[in-house]
Amino acid sequence: MRSFGKYISKHLVSFAVFILLLLLINVIAFGCTFHSIIKKDYGGVSPNNMLEEIAAASTLDGLSDEARNKLESNHIWGIFLNASGETMWSVNSPQNIPAHFTVQDVAIFSRGYLEDYPVFVSNTHSGLLVLGYPKDSYSKLTSNYFSIQAIRTLPLYFLGMLTIDLLLLFFFYHLSKQKIIKNTEPIISSIKTLSNGNPVSLSISGELSEVADTVNKASKILSRQNEARANWISGVSHDIRTPLSMIMGYAEYIANDETVVNSVREQANIVRKQSIKIKELVQDLNLVSQLEYEMQPLHKKPVKLSKLLRSCVAELLNTGVSDFYSINLEIAPAAKNTSIECDSRLISRAISNLVQNSIKHNPQGCKIKISLDCSDTALILIISDNGIGLSSEKLQELDEKPHYMNSTNERLDLRHGLGLLLVKQIMKAHDGTMKINSIANHGFTTTLTFQK
Amino acid sequence: MDNSFLHIKKIMLIDDEPDLLKLVSKILTDEGFKNIIIATSVKEGIYVIKNEKPDLIILDVMLPDGDGFLLMEEIRSFTEVPVIFLTAKDETADKLAGLGLGADDYIAKPFMPKELLLRIYAVLRRCYKEEGTLLLKLGNCTIDFSRAEVIRDDEVIPLTAKEYTLLETLSRNEGKIVTVDAICEALWGDNPFGYENSLNAHVRRIREKIEAEPSKPVSLITIKGLGYKLNTRE
Repeated sequence: MRSFGKYISKHLVSFAVFILLLLLINVIAFGCTFHSIIKKDYGGVSPNNMLEEIAAASTLDGLSDEARNKLESNHIWGIFLNASGETMWSVNSPQNIPAHFTVQDVAIFSRGYLEDYPVFVSNTHSGLLVLGYPKDSYSKLTSNYFSIQAIRTLPLYFLGMLTIDLLLLFFFYHLSKQKIIKNTEPIISSIKTLSNGNPVSLSISGELSEVADTVNKASKILSRQNEARANWISGVSHDIRTPLSMIMGYAEYIANDETVVNSVREQANIVRKQSIKIKELVQDLNLVSQLEYEMQPLHKKPVKLSKLLRSCVAELLNTGVSDFYSINLEIAPAAKNTSIECDSRLISRAISNLVQNSIKHNPQGCKIKISLDCSDTALILIISDNGIGLSSEKLQELDEKPHYMNSTNERLDLRHGLGLLLVKQIMKAHDGTMKINSIANHGFTTTLTFQK
Repeated sequence: MDNSFLHIKKIMLIDDEPDLLKLVSKILTDEGFKNIIIATSVKEGIYVIKNEKPDLIILDVMLPDGDGFLLMEEIRSFTEVPVIFLTAKDETADKLAGLGLGADDYIAKPFMPKELLLRIYAVLRRCYKEEGTLLLKLGNCTIDFSRAEVIRDDEVIPLTAKEYTLLETLSRNEGKIVTVDAICEALWGDNPFGYENSLNAHVRRIREKIEAEPSKPVSLITIKGLGYKLNTRE
């Protein structure tokens, strides 16, 4: 989410930079276009310079030839007035320019035009020099005045306006960023959910609804695939059960039939034992896949864990555990009456799986201890045995390597039973954790922690 | 406990798999059941149940012409006969649905023959106990459940109501561990917390009545941390 905010900022900032660049380009283009005119208007031949030059060359009596030529070559006419308004001399002056000017005339033309000719005047010590430029060569502002106060306020105004503009711009930027994030946040968070393999359902109106629809569609496809996979596994495990019942039933019959040769009975016993393994696998497989794809409805109720443990251990002992094994249940006084919200069938399954694991891996027999303790925040259930345990490498492998159910790794030698995976998933479904621990030849310990 | 009095019960199997019907029939006949009838579809099932009036029905959830759960509902509309579901679906998914409809038990395939028999006996005993021999032979005495008495040598010792319930609960699961929770529930109902001391007292008094040496019990055994177990005379 944060990275997306950065992404938007980056783009808006680059947008602003682009606008500045555009302004710069405009200024340069303006400069290129008006360069020559500006040079002419404000450079060496500008009316101001011309006035100065001509004024320097003029007296009451006349004008130097050099200056006269310069005026002619630039198509400028000129007259020189004395203090009483009489024309002392003129150069190229048009026909309709009068020879005498009153004070009113001078006041009027000195600001702008004389007979539609734009004129420029310069006061010399002997009289007034008037230069007339061709019609339509210059436009003169005849009424420009600014109050001093306005001019004085101008810098402050610019500074203030600039600040306000920047603030408004930033405010707008912030607002639009917030709006974009607000509109895209549900999409991004649902993509995140989707990437964790969980289904999403987005409902957004407006321009982004199309994106939401696409995300929903992807989620649907994902769920459908998961569902198909879980259903497939469930179907296979379902179809195996009935034939397996018969294999187990008849194998048991042959194994117990005293009229059958001993060696055949032994073989039947092997068939029976192996089919029990298949049975366990089939039962676990289905539940694992249901939990994996979250298709297993959880029937959570407040359950006294000590009571559940007692009935679970009693059931295990009642179904017949060989004398090579002992199962001990220890419930700490603090945990005696503690209840947690859980699906008791799943928890029983987890406990029975762990006990069965201890039995399976220790054919020579072992002592199994189940203990329940309670801290301020958690209930801790420990199932341990004093059997052969695991080497540290094997333990690490079991703990860290993903199970083949959730791995694309094809290495067959890493595959192991579903028992522990199922326990892990059951704990996950209860927001609890599973930790395994073992020392070679000193037993195997599984710690299940439930949050209170 | 002697279960042979249950062998005259009429057991009905409803399943569409002929091999499985054959296997279950064999398991039952080998055990001593004499009265076994079968049906292979919902339609046939209803017809047979109405005519034959079985004492126990073992019902497959998946039938060719319908769902076993629906058949169950229909059965319950005209008879209270005990029903055990037999299904290839996963236990965790279907168990609640089956028991919610009033089934008496539920067996998930694949099952071991012994397991099937145990469940059948348990249901039959629960439903038809009054017809059975109500004498239970223990190591040192006999309990007559019909009179709530312990018969020991020439002596007849009466049982209190709680003692009777306790012994009956254990005898129903004879040879098996019954947890203190289950016993307390049977004795004091749904919320049986804090009755452990009373339970100990009742057990002590029962032992005085049934054991030769109450401090070294052979019939009513304590399973430490779990509950109690009743051993009968072999």
